[in-house]
Amino acid sequence: MLSFISFSSQSTDSTYHRSARHHPDVEDLMDVDDDDFSGSEPRLTCPGETITSSQAFMRGHGTYVDKEDVIASVVGTVERVNKLVTVRAIRTRYNPEVGDLVVGRITEVQPRRWKVDANSRQDAILMLSSVNLPGGVQRRKLESDELQMRNFFEEGDLLVAEVQAFFSDGAMSLHTRSLKYGKLRNGQLVTVPPILVRRLKSHFISLPCGVDLILGLNGYIWVSKQAKDSDQGEEGFDAEAVYSNQNDDIDSATRAAISRVSNIIRVFADHFVPLTDTLLLEAYEWVIEQEGDAKRLLLGDTGDALVAAMSLRC
Amino acid sequence: MASISKAEKAFIQSSLLSDPPLRADSRGLIDFRTIALESGVAPIANGSARVSIGRNAQDGGGGTEVVAAAKLEVESVGDGEGADGGRVACSVSCSPTAYPLLSPNALDDLQHDMTSALNATLSHPTIRPTNLGIIPGKKSWLLNLDIIVFSDAGNIFDAIFMAARAALWDTKVPITKSVQYRAKKGETQAMDVDTDETALVGSALDTRQAIQVADFELPDYWDEGEPLDGRQAWPVCLTLNLLPTLHFLDATLQEEASVPLKLLVFYSFPSDATPLLRGMRLLGTGVSDLTQVKSLLKDGEKYARNVWVALEGKLKDEDFRRNQKARERFLNR
Repeated sequence: MLSFISFSSQSTDSTYHRSARHHPDVEDLMDVDDDDFSGSEPRLTCPGETITSSQAFMRGHGTYVDKEDVIASVVGTVERVNKLVTVRAIRTRYNPEVGDLVVGRITEVQPRRWKVDANSRQDAILMLSSVNLPGGVQRRKLESDELQMRNFFEEGDLLVAEVQAFFSDGAMSLHTRSLKYGKLRNGQLVTVPPILVRRLKSHFISLPCGVDLILGLNGYIWVSKQAKDSDQGEEGFDAEAVYSNQNDDIDSATRAAISRVSNIIRVFADHFVPLTDTLLLEAYEWVIEQEGDAKRLLLGDTGDALVAAMSLRC
Repeated sequence: MASISKAEKAFIQSSLLSDPPLRADSRGLIDFRTIALESGVAPIANGSARVSIGRNAQDGGGGTEVVAAAKLEVESVGDGEGADGGRVACSVSCSPTAYPLLSPNALDDLQHDMTSALNATLSHPTIRPTNLGIIPGKKSWLLNLDIIVFSDAGNIFDAIFMAARAALWDTKVPITKSVQYRAKKGETQAMDVDTDETALVGSALDTRQAIQVADFELPDYWDEGEPLDGRQAWPVCLTLNLLPTLHFLDATLQEEASVPLKLLVFYSFPSDATPLLRGMRLLGTGVSDLTQVKSLLKDGEKYARNVWVALEGKLKDEDFRRNQKARERFLNR
């Protein structure tokens, strides 16, 4: 019921010490080599690691110049565009791109717009003009809509949306002008590092166990009960249902499945495994085969075994 | 604290109330997440500890993380707040990164709430350690217990009290020796410093000693000494999250946001006496009645004993790790 552990000491990992190391001068010589970037192998950096000479290259994001060298300031992969060297950080906030699917949470209601936390550097903005309003998709916005914005989304509400454009300050503008998008209910949120969510054909995943997944590219993942097909369709736009805060009746088997899927995602995030639809499907089957209690995934070695089994299959 | 949507709140509540009760991460109602604890993390403190509840096993991220450090300071009795026999002052500060959505003012309020809960319990005169005095009526130790909250993933009060207990368990009080000024025989004018070997024990041969003690010195280094008295007295905290008709332990932030009421109980379990309830607090917007609180106290005592036993085992392990094992490692180097 209650277990204490020690903080695992990272320094006991001896692989670092075992690997052969060159004299710093020799390493520098290797780094300045131009061919260093042309290889297909992505190169990982440590903060403070010399990447290249500042005379031949320009520094980009994630780097700084000290004396003659371009030095990485974050852990990440080195990227080069012509003479510009950047390091794309592994642990970072979400970098939005137009067309990305994100899951966000309303933080503020402002005149004609909502502020949305989407795990980015700035809050995203959802304009009143970019949501579906009751009474038809193509309706003009009225003053009465402005006065009842909290009936659509209020603080704390979760929604799924698409990145529409960027403002001049870099904040993203979202839209929910599709019946796929809108307010989220019947489930729970799991947060993972954004880099673990790959761009997929579809970010709406239905698992056969009666669970729907929405993989937001910002690392917010919504795990919910499967929506009935009858809810979809252009004709069936019902403002009551779209902006409802009421959950459907969910049986305990589905609840158990939701929490099992959430735990699988947490285990993968902990082991830093990128998530894909096939991986999640196989992992769910594996967990059902093991017939393990879902909580053991997080507590015991079952999580490690799961990741090991998946790395063999995929 | 965390803002969650009405739908999430309803989902969490209905899952808890369903049969069998189910939590977001499939834990049982009285299961804790894994707790990591390490003592002696701050080298210049007299005692310190770091506690993390529910951190990820692999990458070490997530979870509630708290660091506690105890520092002793000499204080003159009489002027200011100094008290004869020493005192304990606690403070909790929250890193802004732990609550990124809170404004600085709200963060101050939160820190103040946490400090008051900790201070009211740990600075209580009834559990003041007996070895905080230096010179009776003149000097005493002031024990500053500072706690920093680095991240909050729920159940922050339990983590704070665990870290506090671990840091106080780890605290060593430097041994002091009293010094008195005594005139040498035949030289009535010149004063000379002499150390008094028998210190506060007092000698039958010299009755003046007790009143003439003027100052003290440290025979050892400042970081050596005897353990702070009252290891058995420092309480543990247990948070019972109350959703009408049931209660559960070690809530995550989302769960905390969806329960109307939390009951904090502070228990200590001295080995030779009955369990002591050191304090309790009701937090939240809900209400509770006396019969419910009585039954909750009984349950709380049971759970708190589990926490106490597990924590004590871990603290002894830590002592062993830092003393005996470190010595062996040094020898086998």
